[in-house]
Amino acid sequence: MRPRWRKVFLDLFEHKGRTLLVVLSIAIGVFSIGVISGAYVIISNDMSASYAANQPANVEIRMSDFDDDLLAAIRNLHEVGDAEGRRVFNMRVRSTQEDQWVTLDIVAVDDFATNVLNLLTPVAGVSAPGRNEILLEQEAVEALRVQVGDELVFQLPGGSLKTLTVVGIVQDSLTGVDDFLAPPCGYITLSTLPRLGQAQTFNRIYASMAEGQDDVLHIRTVADDLRERIERSGYMVVRTSISLTHEHPLASTVNAILGILLALGVLIVFLSSSLIANTLNALLNQHLRHIGVMKLVGGRNRQVFVMYLVLIMAFGVLSLLLAVPLGGQGAYALSAYIAEQLGFTLQGYRIVPLAFAVQIAIGLLVPLVSGLVPVVSGSRVTVLKAISGDLAREAEAGSGSRGRVKRETGWERFQTRVTAALARRGIQIPRPLLISLRNTFRRRGRLVLTLFTLTMGGAIFIAVFNVQITLDDYISAIGRYFLADVSLDFDRPYRLSEVEQLATQVEGVVDVEGWLFLSADVLDPDGMVVENIDILAPPADSVLVSPILVAGRWIQPGDERRLAISEAILAIFPDLQPGDLLRLKINGHEEDWEVVGIFKFVGREGILAYVPYEYIAAVSNLSNRSYSFRIVTTQHERAYQVMMGERLDSCFRQNGFHVRQAQAGLATLDKASESLDILVTFLLIMALLTASVGSMGLTGTMSMNVLERTREIGVMRAIGADDRAIMRTVIAEGMVIGMISWVLGVILSLPFSLLLSSIVSLAVFETPIALVFTPTGYFIWLGLVLVLSAVASIVPARNAARLTIREVLAYE
Amino acid sequence: MDANVVMVESQDALLAPQVLIELHEVVKVYHSEAGDFSALKGITAMVSRGEFLGIVGKSGAGKSTLLNMISGVDRLTSGEVRVRTEGEQISVHHLSEDDLALWRGRTIGVVHQSFQLLPMLTLVENIMLPMDLSGRYQARASRARALELLQMVELEEHANKPPAFISGGQQQRVAIARALANDPLLIIADEPTGSLDSVTADHIFELFQQLVEKQGKTIVMVTHDNSLVPRFTRTLHLADGSLVAPPTSEHAVGAAADPTRRRFSLFGGKRQ
Ligand SMILES: Nc1ncnc2c1ncn2[C@@H]1O[C@H](COP(=O)(O)OP(=O)(O)O)[C@@H](O)[C@H]1O
Ligand SMILES: [Mg+2]
Repeated sequence: MRPRWRKVFLDLFEHKGRTLLVVLSIAIGVFSIGVISGAYVIISNDMSASYAANQPANVEIRMSDFDDDLLAAIRNLHEVGDAEGRRVFNMRVRSTQEDQWVTLDIVAVDDFATNVLNLLTPVAGVSAPGRNEILLEQEAVEALRVQVGDELVFQLPGGSLKTLTVVGIVQDSLTGVDDFLAPPCGYITLSTLPRLGQAQTFNRIYASMAEGQDDVLHIRTVADDLRERIERSGYMVVRTSISLTHEHPLASTVNAILGILLALGVLIVFLSSSLIANTLNALLNQHLRHIGVMKLVGGRNRQVFVMYLVLIMAFGVLSLLLAVPLGGQGAYALSAYIAEQLGFTLQGYRIVPLAFAVQIAIGLLVPLVSGLVPVVSGSRVTVLKAISGDLAREAEAGSGSRGRVKRETGWERFQTRVTAALARRGIQIPRPLLISLRNTFRRRGRLVLTLFTLTMGGAIFIAVFNVQITLDDYISAIGRYFLADVSLDFDRPYRLSEVEQLATQVEGVVDVEGWLFLSADVLDPDGMVVENIDILAPPADSVLVSPILVAGRWIQPGDERRLAISEAILAIFPDLQPGDLLRLKINGHEEDWEVVGIFKFVGREGILAYVPYEYIAAVSNLSNRSYSFRIVTTQHERAYQVMMGERLDSCFRQNGFHVRQAQAGLATLDKASESLDILVTFLLIMALLTASVGSMGLTGTMSMNVLERTREIGVMRAIGADDRAIMRTVIAEGMVIGMISWVLGVILSLPFSLLLSSIVSLAVFETPIALVFTPTGYFIWLGLVLVLSAVASIVPARNAARLTIREVLAYE
Repeated sequence: MDANVVMVESQDALLAPQVLIELHEVVKVYHSEAGDFSALKGITAMVSRGEFLGIVGKSGAGKSTLLNMISGVDRLTSGEVRVRTEGEQISVHHLSEDDLALWRGRTIGVVHQSFQLLPMLTLVENIMLPMDLSGRYQARASRARALELLQMVELEEHANKPPAFISGGQQQRVAIARALANDPLLIIADEPTGSLDSVTADHIFELFQQLVEKQGKTIVMVTHDNSLVPRFTRTLHLADGSLVAPPTSEHAVGAAADPTRRRFSLFGGKRQ
């Protein structure tokens, strides 16, 4: 090897720790970008491909019971490609081993063999159940804790119990995919329906388009047409929903979330480049004499420049060797995880060329960009300066070169004054700590970069905790729109007084409210149906709903044909304001309703509206009666709610009520918070990666500080400082930096929390939500940053303590 | 000015082919916060091919500065330095930074008081470095040549050791071997024996003498050791940035010690 390149090669391994730090910090950035961009590509491909592969119906119509004749008529329409009828209902189910009831959506399919729409992917067991057998969706298997071959107990509305055998497990990537409040599913044949007390008819139509399967307008037109035809034939349509064949309904959400992760990945890259800039600055400073020698014996600027360029590129190449294979694996693992969570299948392992290219570009660009300035200025240095050591001496602040006394800087004056002022008040800062503090501020450029990385890591870390609480808070706020501690539903209406009287006899019940529900269509000015809305009718003075109002007011007693509606309506009528009229079609009647208020909800869960119970009860001849009751209990913990649910359920059944289900308030929200927890975990992982880059930066800084202070440490030794004293000084310095970064992180976490929570809530809830703070993140980060900074200083401190006076004197 | 007293400009000498280096009214002023400082106050001198020129003077006299003006390591404030290289006159301070480095690598071997070897490279590699940078020798040839040079300084058995494993005197010999790597016309040495004990220093000095006598190199060496004066073929005395006449006593001692050198004067000239 030519001596030039041998020098570069040896420089790379001269300080293994330093090389490792630089390589690792580039690698972390490259890795996270690789994982996220790879997953992005894999998921955006496979998610929709897997969705389309299961033949999603373009139109789903929930309606009153119908039979094959109507289905045949629909199949004959030339816009319709295929149509299928199914019966969907829900029921309380448990395994024979457990006594925990789970509400299951049960789907009766006409013929599993010839079924062409909304296909199921077999996972285990058989793929078509026989009579009195059931297939379970993976999620249902988890919730019920059963296996193929187990028996399931079904509770019929009358209270009697029936059993079915689980014969297979399937994955349903379509049903309820965009509704995180939807219950898990089970699948039976029509022949099993009578056993569960259900009529052998359909109540849903699934239809695909003959053409234009990805054309929203076309699908909507066909759906409206279908709906009209069905209504004209005397059926009642409850709800119509449409979807595109090649677009997974959650694609945009997943992309938005990957986008957030990607932004954090970019931040990591950014932070690692500041670490590299720091390290390369120190490296070139140490190498000034080498550069001088090379120039003295005829080295040109360009040759020196190229040598150091190769050196920094070598850092990049080494980190690529580490990060690219790991990133590829990670991308697939992340995709597989998301696929499992969202219930779609991947097309198999592969290397994503785009991610590969992005990784290589970043791995080479980061060291290049962050090292260019030090390398350029280092290679331009003149022989004279390099050899005479002027720069080295200038860098060692405090010792004026050529005997000139260096003037005290403003900062140093400030430090001295603060110390003096503290001393006057009797606060004596211990000597070694004072030395540490001075050291900390000696290299201000380096300190700023180190603080920057650590602070960013901390701010993100804290922000993630705030975001988690914010999301949880919002989820439970959403829950409160329609859930109480216990929600008690019956199969027929009961008098409020009757239910209230019995319920209040159950110990722990505080309050009972009767609610009603109905569905309506929103019409556009031309009388076309544009959207379904769910109308909830709690008592106008309900204590259970605490709405987050965006405009106007909440419903009041005496409101007639007035409603409060969720924000999602603005997607259809962007200019809608309180006081405006909305044309609704309820139970076949078209009416104008006044909007009194607009409130926040989850965009993708559809449009929700509130109307006073009193008005709905009156117009639907249900005065003082209801199917559905909301019960407030003395305690609100999950376990208590579940217990109360069971207690109320058995109490009402014993008294001859036709109970459909008694559900603990938070049960439905578990799935929602679970999927949010996954998101939070990812955010936390990114925050930890950021923090690890930050602490690597600190380790690097501390090592450089120790190295540059070799002489000073020697002097401390010479005046009698022992190993521990020297280690303590170095570690104290690291901790001081850690503490400063914590304080800055606390400040910076505010805008970060705001930004992160608004991005996440827009992606997940399709609406911005109010930020909630928790002290958890602040405290955990405080502990973590202290540990990290102690750990980051230990190795440099040990190195410092190991220096002997001889080595110190030999240092030049 | 003192320099004008001792220097007489001779057109003939400037044009003479044997003249290697010409310094003409070289002025170097250092600017600093404390004010301007003239380290060289108009030096005019010339060095002929094959000379072993000593530059002596007290510490701070401007000796190193003068060497730096010749090697182009530092820029002059005014004046002119010309070096005759391969038949051409090179005006050192008109070269660009990169051309200067390349030219220096090929034309001048530099030896420093503090050796200036690269610590991570072995001795041969240190000697190969200038050849690598100048691109004058192929990789294989350069190793052979480096080994030859090491042999010349009697260190071939340490060829693959890093500099830290040999003594200071040995390191200086390696530095001399490195200075010879590109077979330069001129060797510039700044107190090469300054940090060595007297026995070792004498060895190194002899090595330089041999280079002049056997290989016909031209050497300009700075020293503050007046006892070496008689051993140069010629000596320039610097004081406060100006050339001065040698202190008579020293000159006398030097001349007495080595009568063969008596005829050399400040005006340049060759050994007879
Ligand atoms: N870079 C510089 N900046 C300011 N003054 C300098 C610089 N280099 C040298 N000098 C001054 O110039 C004078 C000559 O220095 P130098 O040539 O190194 O002396 P010598 O080698 O004879 O000991 C000294 O007084 C020195 O302080
Ligand atoms: Mg000097």
